[in-house]
Amino acid sequence: MVGVALKQVKKSYGNHEVLHGIDLNIDPGEFIVFVGPSGCGKSTLLRVIAGLEEMTSGELRIGGRLMNDVPPAKRGIAMVFQSYALYPHMTVYDNMAFSMKIAREKKAKIDARVRQAAEILQLTPYLNRLPKALSGGQRQRVAIGRAIVRNSEVFLFDEPLSNLDAALRVATRIEVAKLKESLPDTTMIYVTHDQVEAMTLADRIVVLKDGCIEQVGTPEELYREPTNLFVAQFIGSPAMNLLAARIEETGPKTLIAYANGTRMQVPVLTPASAKGAAVDIGVRPEELRITEGEHIFEGVVDYAEYLGEVQLVYFKTEDEAHPFIAKLPGNVHVERGARLKLGADAESLHVFDVEGRAFRGLDGAGSEEAERASVAATILEK
Amino acid sequence: MVSTETAAPVKETSIWTAVSKAFLWSFLICLGIVVVYPLLWMAMNGFKNNVQIFGDPFALPTHWSWQNYVRAWNQGVRDYVVVSVLVTVASAICTVMISAWTAFGLTRSKLPGKPIVLIVVLGGLMLSPTVALIPLVKMFQALGLYNTFWALIILYTAFRVPFTTFLIRAYMLDLPSELDEAATMDGASEGQRFWRIILPMCRPIIASCIILHVLFSWNEYIFAMVFTSGTDMTTLPVGLTAIMAKHGTDYSVVFAAMTISALPIVIIFFATQRYFIRGLAEGIGK
Repeated sequence: MVGVALKQVKKSYGNHEVLHGIDLNIDPGEFIVFVGPSGCGKSTLLRVIAGLEEMTSGELRIGGRLMNDVPPAKRGIAMVFQSYALYPHMTVYDNMAFSMKIAREKKAKIDARVRQAAEILQLTPYLNRLPKALSGGQRQRVAIGRAIVRNSEVFLFDEPLSNLDAALRVATRIEVAKLKESLPDTTMIYVTHDQVEAMTLADRIVVLKDGCIEQVGTPEELYREPTNLFVAQFIGSPAMNLLAARIEETGPKTLIAYANGTRMQVPVLTPASAKGAAVDIGVRPEELRITEGEHIFEGVVDYAEYLGEVQLVYFKTEDEAHPFIAKLPGNVHVERGARLKLGADAESLHVFDVEGRAFRGLDGAGSEEAERASVAATILEK
Repeated sequence: MVSTETAAPVKETSIWTAVSKAFLWSFLICLGIVVVYPLLWMAMNGFKNNVQIFGDPFALPTHWSWQNYVRAWNQGVRDYVVVSVLVTVASAICTVMISAWTAFGLTRSKLPGKPIVLIVVLGGLMLSPTVALIPLVKMFQALGLYNTFWALIILYTAFRVPFTTFLIRAYMLDLPSELDEAATMDGASEGQRFWRIILPMCRPIIASCIILHVLFSWNEYIFAMVFTSGTDMTTLPVGLTAIMAKHGTDYSVVFAAMTISALPIVIIFFATQRYFIRGLAEGIGK
């Protein structure tokens, strides 16, 4: 089992820096997913690890060994490409055997390894076919098989499911998850822009934006305790709603006042210096409920998307590009044009300062950090 | 009522479609006749004698005798065909290999100064063989290559490399770079990437380039006439003029010799035309 460590990895194209000093430790046997919007540098980072792009500065270690100047084939890694990158003139067997043939392995060994990989991926009946005679899902399995045959300790996946249709994507995603289970010693690094893939597959997710890491954590950590506004809005679908508010009282429980006059105590730790500060309150659509009592949002239903079990209800806001969305039960009748009041539990709310950084609850912060913040908040208040 | 109103335009459209199709077919048939008939006429006259050729030039032969073809074959055409085949095959292999390697370097390697190399290679397209003739003769004489097969092989290769590189490069530009990256990850060297991945994938354009080269070198006249002199070094186009000079009045032998010389090209073209069109279209069109 080998881990991957990146230290201050930078990558520039001419004067344009696309990776701004990435520090990341990937544990041996871990399934880590790089996620982020287009152009955030996730594929570039993967290609730097693969050796297909040279880093401008920094250190890359695989299994503790410095890999900066080691050619891709000798890094002990295998890569599955977005477009499969199968050799179209070779059969499935030859595609999978190619790396071993190049390494001049014995025929019997090649045959055994290819057939074993084909068995795992249920490709045995297709070994003599050309890639053009396979479906998209089968081609992707061949691409994965090619990686398995190389017997590498690190697998890299570059958006491997993005060329598949929705149904096949789900099926192949499950296959990738099973593959990880069957190869527990293999470290897997997976790039995607699809957060469902990220959430379902990853042991840990790395959220990237503009060539910087925004947050690293388990899927649940990212969902429950985003460290900033970008992560909060990127993880979760539909995205987290934001409401303008002001801090009235600080401390281990913060009293906030919404623009509509509602006051609410939120279990979030804020320093005394934050008193009176404008903040953004984040609330996930699935945490909202219709209420007649204390509410945090009141609005007119613009339209509703019925999805069966649930429905997505869009409310008109001043900013037309960002409607307020509530995920309500499917059995609630919602009429277009109706005026509704929405409430949410204080525990489900996230508070972000003007720079987009999250104030953390005492549970969310690390114990040492929480204690320090609590003491600091108390001292400041006194 | 409604149905007749909707049916009328459909009927009109189908009439116009039929008429335009008929015109198209007539045009293509005429074009086919214009191209094929001279070849058939030439082949047919190879079966006649002089009296029949001049008496009724467009009639079918009265009896089908291979005598003229045999005579033409024995009176030099055999040797010319051998020389032509040798020069054509050797120069085609050299041209395609050099061009494919060059195109690979220009499209799929981290070669510094690629645009300059590209300009130099494609600049060769503008070089006229006629202008370069005298310096080339001097050079080949100095190198001891004058009146050798090598003279023609080198010249045909040198003058076809720019255009062939241009075609193969256009095709290679369309091949996804992920294939190279996948091969690199699999441990393939640059040479292995070329021989085992990229070159096999370029088969359609390679076939097109070979056909184009065969058409050129099989029919090439000026270099063949200037750079070779002995009968054992004569290619078909030069040999045919010699036959015409020798059998100037025996047209049936001349027609038979011309038919024999044209036959391989016609066969190659018809056998590989699908490849030929696909290769050219895929390379440049996308």
